[in-house]
Amino acid sequence: MEFDLFHNLATGFGAALSLKNVGFALIGCLLGTLIGVLPGIGPIPTIAMLLPITFGLEPLSSLIMLAGIYYGAQYGGSTTSILVNIPGEAGSIVTCLDGHQMARQGRAGAALGVAALGSFFAGCVGTIFIAAFGPPLAAIAQEFNSPDYFSLMVLGLVTAVILAHGSVIKAVGMVLVGLLFGLVGTDVNSGLTRYTFGVSDLWDGIDFLPLVIGMFGIVEVIRNLEQATLPRPQFSAKIKDLWPSMKDFRDSWRAVLRGTGLGSILGILPGGGAVLAAFASYTLEKKLAKDPSRFGRGAIEGVAGPESANNAAAQTSFIPLLTLGLPSNAIMALMMGAMIIQGIQPGSAVMTKRPDLFWGMVASMWIGNLMLLVINLPLIGLWVRLLSVPYRLLYPAILLFCVIGIYSTNTNTAQLVLCAVFAVFGYVMLRFGCEPAPLVLGFILGPLMEENLRRSLVISRGDPMVFFERPISAVLLAATVALIALIVLPQFRKTREEAFQE
Amino acid sequence: MLRVKSPQDLGAGLVFVLIGLAGLYFGSDLAFGTAARMGPGYFPILLSAMIAAVGLIVGLRGVTIDGPPIEPVQLRPIVFIIAAILIFGFLIESIGLALTAILLTVFAGYARRDVKLSETIVLGVALAAFTVVVFVYVLGQPLPAWWGR
Repeated sequence: MEFDLFHNLATGFGAALSLKNVGFALIGCLLGTLIGVLPGIGPIPTIAMLLPITFGLEPLSSLIMLAGIYYGAQYGGSTTSILVNIPGEAGSIVTCLDGHQMARQGRAGAALGVAALGSFFAGCVGTIFIAAFGPPLAAIAQEFNSPDYFSLMVLGLVTAVILAHGSVIKAVGMVLVGLLFGLVGTDVNSGLTRYTFGVSDLWDGIDFLPLVIGMFGIVEVIRNLEQATLPRPQFSAKIKDLWPSMKDFRDSWRAVLRGTGLGSILGILPGGGAVLAAFASYTLEKKLAKDPSRFGRGAIEGVAGPESANNAAAQTSFIPLLTLGLPSNAIMALMMGAMIIQGIQPGSAVMTKRPDLFWGMVASMWIGNLMLLVINLPLIGLWVRLLSVPYRLLYPAILLFCVIGIYSTNTNTAQLVLCAVFAVFGYVMLRFGCEPAPLVLGFILGPLMEENLRRSLVISRGDPMVFFERPISAVLLAATVALIALIVLPQFRKTREEAFQE
Repeated sequence: MLRVKSPQDLGAGLVFVLIGLAGLYFGSDLAFGTAARMGPGYFPILLSAMIAAVGLIVGLRGVTIDGPPIEPVQLRPIVFIIAAILIFGFLIESIGLALTAILLTVFAGYARRDVKLSETIVLGVALAAFTVVVFVYVLGQPLPAWWGR
């Protein structure tokens, strides 16, 4: 086992460390940070926007570049949260709380430095975690049958619903609508087209790029434009001293360790991921602190813990995707889409059939994290200057990159019409208090869920008891029921509301 | 007489009910099949019915539980941004990226009230030059740079 781990990692680094692949990792990190740092652009639209650039590359290079984009986007998001107080996504709200307060007190450098170092440490641990636990989990995954897959997806969707911002029942609605949207197109079993309304562009289903860019990227631009004052940095002080002081180190190393541990575990859970990890770590640090009132006023643990946790979870949330072929959150859904476009069906087969690809990707995660540290910290001045570009000049550029991204994937006007439709739909739903993230997860899982439901019921000759008779499936469903019970119980409900209040 | 207590919930409920009903209506000609032999209509019909049911619950909450109002919709940003996307989509094939990029920038610019046309055109030309060089020539993306090809 020990030997295997090193042997596998050596294979991975051998594949990932070619000059070309390191180059793509570098470009990915830079581009990801460049877009991710723009105010109001979270990791999801960043990745969606940059995805098409990776399509022309060979699979490993493409995945390596994509991983670079992902980490860059996350890191860029943290930078924006700390400096401008505009979170790109729910996960970075936590970083805003204390990070931005630190920036206001002139300690932006320390906040950015601790965030980067904590993330790097967490990234290293997360990578080792994947390398160590990936293979055994893949072995378990091979025991999975259709009913188990179906139950796991149910569990994942229920978790995603509970973690969604705002009303639970509306999130349920969005997941279901996402599942239905996922079924549009030709049914693989009967060959019939469903919900295509005679539009031939829909025969292959709804492309996920127009859907994601419309509902996240475009809606975000529109919402920013509605504000009376366009987003702009709320600080003027120059960033000096990126290296945190000895005292900062002393105050934060425990938070980094705890955040890393918490994040690594929460990342694996279906429906979990970076957002959950960041929230959980912040709550934990606040609970453990001698003086909780410091939180929200620039407590360095409030930056160190969640930033480490979200990066650790960002790594380990690859585990369900790479072993079971199931994305646990919207970002992993994007990664899955990208892998499928490259002709790789995510799942345990990747590890056995294409070990160079799997281990190359694991190695590239570590390389990507290292790159963020050695390249982006020195470049922080550049990112800051980018932040001071007025939004009125930025948003047309953002919009243009979005539409070029969509158009260049399959040079088709219909995709842009779809994007416009989903932008309007996403905008309206947001006005009605419905977040788009659960819909995206449902959208990706729709066809998978139908197929596994069909297979399960064929095996059992239509008897739904099959989901309770198989041990794996029964355990997963029991966990689902326990979660639902938790959310119905008034006490937990209060905690959840409080968590989102912060 | 019902009183709207939470407009957001009522609106979301209505949309869900509409999507659910549309799913049922347009899925009605798909064979439903049986559980053991699911037809192409089985899962979609099941989902549509669930969506409609969720919509009913959310809508009922809208008339029974107090909730926040809907933030007023500003037409200007959404209309111009959507127009910019569609113009790009319909014109890129015939007039190329360079010109559509400028058009998109100008339309997007008018999504703000205090737009300056001259500044927007300069920005559009700069963005057009940048994207033509980067996306068409460096990255080799399948976009026509100019008209007539």
